[in-house]
Amino acid sequence: MTTVHLSNVTKHYGSTVAVQDFNLEVADGEFVTLLGPSGCGKTTTLRMLAGLVEPTGGRILFDDQEVTWLAPRARNIGFVFQAPALFPHMSVADNIGFGLSVKGRDKAFIRQRVDEMLDLVDLEGYGKRLPAQLSGGQQQRVALARVLATDPRVLLFDEPLSALDKNLRDTLKYSILELQRKTRKTAIYVTHDQSEAFAISDRIVVMNAGRIEQIGTQTDIYLKPRTPFVAEFIGANNGLNGTVVAVDGSGDDAVVRVDTGGLLLRRRGRTRLTPGQAVLAYIRPEDLSVLEDGDGRVHLNTIEGTIDRLIFEGASAQLRVEVAGVEMRADISGGQRLALVQREGRVRLGFDDVTLIPSEAEAGTAVVTDGVPDEAGPAA
Amino acid sequence: MSAASTPRRRPLLSSRRLATIASHAYIWLCLILFVLPFLALLSQSLGQRGGASGLGNYAAVFGSFGDNLFWSFKITGLTLLIDLAACLPAAYALVRYPVPGKRLLFSLLQLPLYVPGAVIGLSLLLTYTFVYKIDSMWGLVLAMAVGSFPLMMTPIVVAMKDLPVMFEEASECLGATKWQTYRRIVFPLIGPGVSAGLLLCFIIVFNEYLVTLFVHPPALETAPLKVFNLVRTNGLAPTTAALAVTMQLISFLAVIVFFRIFGTRHFKGTYIL
Ligand SMILES: Nc1ncnc2c1ncn2[C@@H]1O[C@H](COP(=O)(O)OP(=O)(O)OP(=O)(O)O)[C@@H](O)[C@H]1O
Ligand SMILES: [Mg+2]
Repeated sequence: MTTVHLSNVTKHYGSTVAVQDFNLEVADGEFVTLLGPSGCGKTTTLRMLAGLVEPTGGRILFDDQEVTWLAPRARNIGFVFQAPALFPHMSVADNIGFGLSVKGRDKAFIRQRVDEMLDLVDLEGYGKRLPAQLSGGQQQRVALARVLATDPRVLLFDEPLSALDKNLRDTLKYSILELQRKTRKTAIYVTHDQSEAFAISDRIVVMNAGRIEQIGTQTDIYLKPRTPFVAEFIGANNGLNGTVVAVDGSGDDAVVRVDTGGLLLRRRGRTRLTPGQAVLAYIRPEDLSVLEDGDGRVHLNTIEGTIDRLIFEGASAQLRVEVAGVEMRADISGGQRLALVQREGRVRLGFDDVTLIPSEAEAGTAVVTDGVPDEAGPAA
Repeated sequence: MSAASTPRRRPLLSSRRLATIASHAYIWLCLILFVLPFLALLSQSLGQRGGASGLGNYAAVFGSFGDNLFWSFKITGLTLLIDLAACLPAAYALVRYPVPGKRLLFSLLQLPLYVPGAVIGLSLLLTYTFVYKIDSMWGLVLAMAVGSFPLMMTPIVVAMKDLPVMFEEASECLGATKWQTYRRIVFPLIGPGVSAGLLLCFIIVFNEYLVTLFVHPPALETAPLKVFNLVRTNGLAPTTAALAVTMQLISFLAVIVFFRIFGTRHFKGTYIL
């Protein structure tokens, strides 16, 4: 039973700000993922939790115990590295038993615990092997067993799957989740891979340049991004700079009208925006649908543009449309994607959802972000 | 379909074969050149002069020269221990901690390698007689340690540098103390570096006579010093040659033993081997 609490945790390397004012509460048994681009401070945060890096400022608490300045061995944590980091001169069994043996537990207990752990990670009978005689995925599973054997308070993972191939990653990420659920350990997991974060987390912390951008569930950060960074980093998005023209009505039925310098967008719902305010408007590509003549559906927004190209991706197709001098992306699925293959010229698009984020940026520019592809390594 | 082309005959001396023959010849030439002096010494050691002959010369090695060999082993053993005790912590600190002026320090520590043995011997002799008045074997042991520790230091530092810090971090996260981590993780994994250092130091210290000449206490004569003194006064007597051959064999044996122990069983599958 362990909660983790970070308050204003900060790490500077000389003039480099690696992590700044990091605040997070992790509930007991929760699986929280730190997600962000390369160099945003994920590893640094995790290593401060482990005691491998001393913070420049702030406090870290496990339950009510302050651990900010404790050595790693006094924290009772389990750290899984990017590489399995198995001790190459010890057998698998000795690796798993290492944490117990340095604490002076007796041999019989260690042997029994090692067997239990091998069982837990589906590696019965592999105890006598040396790490070099295992595959990469098996090694990472041994690393997991080694960490669980000591019954740690908190599990810390630093991109444990990034060195493995895609198939293995897919199966192993669910094994990790399953083991975490089974052992009910509080877990903090670092990755730059969105699909991984979405697949296994209870909550996701999106980080950028050493700071937290947003903390929330998958649906929170996908559907209600609070900053332009989150809107552009998570998934694909069409972003438009605009200005609020008017707010009609009030409460849940309020309609915000936004002028993006060529398009007038409407969004229904409660709002705190006021006319004249600069905003970034984001429309998810999958929210855009192609309207046929005589289509009965009614949308809050309808825009018209010229088809630039269609990228057929199998299950879905990306339609690139030029609308009022701006390229927008619409993801089309179902039968309609086939009909579009031959299509050229003008097209009408309808959508209801627009995410509006206040911005100080200048109006008139636009971006299409495709999110970070799952396969990408740490981006350059 | 018929394959009517005549099979191409393999040339008797293709360029590849020539290269193979040349490289074998080169290896053998080197071997002969290196082994020749040893063989000369060996035949001399089996020669006859004044009574004893043949293998009888070797009986003398363990009889009258037994003391010299004993001192050689003792001095060498103690020197290795001091070298190890000094170099293991020093190498760890030098690689793992941000020691200011790391590079310069490491270069300075290499200095004894470039200083001629006679200079080391002389300067230590001066230091000892005028400052410490050490007149036991410890003066000699210290002199040997000073002269040889870079040979121990360098391979250990290299092995430390090659060892990813990740293993130590993993160990500490699993609850091990610094000392447990060093003993159970670091030391075994830098083992090949340590063994290389031990081997180098053993060979150099065991056969060293120049430094010994300056700082040995009167009652103590190591085997190489004995050979030197005997050759200087008597020329190369067969018994002296036998002592020299024995020393050669011991050095050779050391190499074999070290490679047996450290080169195979213990360190198979480790990071370095
Ligand atoms: N030991 C160090 N010395 C100086 N700067 C460092 C050190 N460690 C990290 N940094 C800097 O701190 C910042 C955050 O690094 P960190 O390793 O936490 O990023 P990350 O989010 O884990 O990135 P990645 O996805 O590439 O692993 C980077 O700008 C990095 O250059
Ligand atoms: Mg990292």
